[in-house]
Amino acid sequence: MPLEGLLQPLLSQLNSGVVLLDAELKLVFINQFIARRADLQQDDVKGKSLFDVFSDLPQAWLQRKLQGVLSLQVPAFSSWEQRQYIFKLPHLRPLSSDSAYMAQNCSMFPLTAPDTGERYICILVEDATDAYVYQQQLQQSVTRLQLANRTDGLTGVFNRSYWQQQLGYEIQRAERYQHPLSLLLFDLDKFKQLNDHYGHLGGDAVLIEVSRLVAALLRDTDLLGRYGGEEFGIILPETDLTGAMQVAQRLCSAVAAHNITFEQQQLTATISVGVTCFTSGLGSDQLIQQADEALYSAKRHGRNQAVAWRDSQSAYLKKVK
Amino acid sequence: MTTLHFTEEQRDCLQELVNVAMGQASDKLARYLETMVHLQVPAIKLVDTQQLPEHFANRYQQQSVSLISLGFFGDQGLRGETIMLYQLANVGVLAKLLGYSDDDSSEAEMLTDISSVLTTTFLNGLAEQLDNSFSYAAPRILSSRDEHFADKLAATAQQWQLALQVDIRYQLTDYSFHCDMILLIPGEAVLRLRQMLDQILADF
Repeated sequence: MPLEGLLQPLLSQLNSGVVLLDAELKLVFINQFIARRADLQQDDVKGKSLFDVFSDLPQAWLQRKLQGVLSLQVPAFSSWEQRQYIFKLPHLRPLSSDSAYMAQNCSMFPLTAPDTGERYICILVEDATDAYVYQQQLQQSVTRLQLANRTDGLTGVFNRSYWQQQLGYEIQRAERYQHPLSLLLFDLDKFKQLNDHYGHLGGDAVLIEVSRLVAALLRDTDLLGRYGGEEFGIILPETDLTGAMQVAQRLCSAVAAHNITFEQQQLTATISVGVTCFTSGLGSDQLIQQADEALYSAKRHGRNQAVAWRDSQSAYLKKVK
Repeated sequence: MTTLHFTEEQRDCLQELVNVAMGQASDKLARYLETMVHLQVPAIKLVDTQQLPEHFANRYQQQSVSLISLGFFGDQGLRGETIMLYQLANVGVLAKLLGYSDDDSSEAEMLTDISSVLTTTFLNGLAEQLDNSFSYAAPRILSSRDEHFADKLAATAQQWQLALQVDIRYQLTDYSFHCDMILLIPGEAVLRLRQMLDQILADF
């Protein structure tokens, strides 16, 4: 029968891996797909234990599965989505993938020799690297979109909605664990004049440069966001009012001392900072309101300085109420 | 729809075949899992696929449920899909059942592994009763944590005309755990199945 003679070349040309095992999990046959990728010779592996030849296999798990195939005489499966690969093999897309190994869909099914009745297992290995790569690209795009969705387009710091959401979370945390939390609001001094003098591009350059400078002076856990126009907010977790004032003063001096180059001109900018710290029961709107009052106070007292919020500053508000 | 209905005789016959298949599966699983497994005689119900989502939404109420699907093909046009429903609170039990240590497999992998063992063991038995044999597609997770499973079930069930609902309860020595299995069969395969049942009935 011509089919018999065609089966071997068919198995060689098959673009999937075929691994045939006997009931003791010894190798009976591997096709060319596996042999070439694993750099093995058919004759060298015949009769050897699967786990000796492929020493990287997840042995305990795979053995359990193969035992199931033998004793229940049912197929078993493994998907790249749950386990990237069973056989550690190279793939043919070295440039487009950041994974060194072929992602695989594997089926393991029972076989019985028609003449002797002996039991075998066939492991069919399908290359799923394409699907794996697309999935990763999709994941990366989603991550980028999530990042873009919370970033201020001009300065690269957090945008207002994300920043304010984070402030809400930090307040909940501070409330729950009785931890200190401070808030800074700062504003570029005389920004309108800067814009008028250097144009909007000049103003933008200052916003970008000041954000960069301020971000570099903060801890990883501090959260810098653009609150609006030339106004920024900084959430300082685990920081009391004294610590927050030190940060604010450091930022004031650093910005004032920094030269910004715009179209071959040197310009300087200063900031005024309002500082406040969380006390139990305050909401994010109230906290922002306090920092804003302190910021107003800093402006009134001559700019380029940090002012901490004090109850007396808003005493008149309370009288009104 | 009425053409898909089973006569009383056909239904009894199918119940009998399911019972035998389940008994065989129970025996094999007990040996494989090395623990006492009692698969109770399942109650089968032929239901309109439209009613499935509501039925299971009521049964599982607010609990987290996972859906695993596995497709099968047999000879003579017999084909279908099985859906297993698990309460996710049972995942720890599944790990023990499969002999997995906690860290070597993900939850998703355990769910697909146990599903394929349970369904294929049962379906192989059923195929044998029908003088048929099935080949299987790899199991897929239709929904897992935090997804509304009834919507997913509705979307899947819509493609099928008949659902054979098989309640399976697994009782193990040290812990009890149960899951549901639904067999979904398309219209033309239902006609084939009825012919096969008639054939079996005629042979008696």
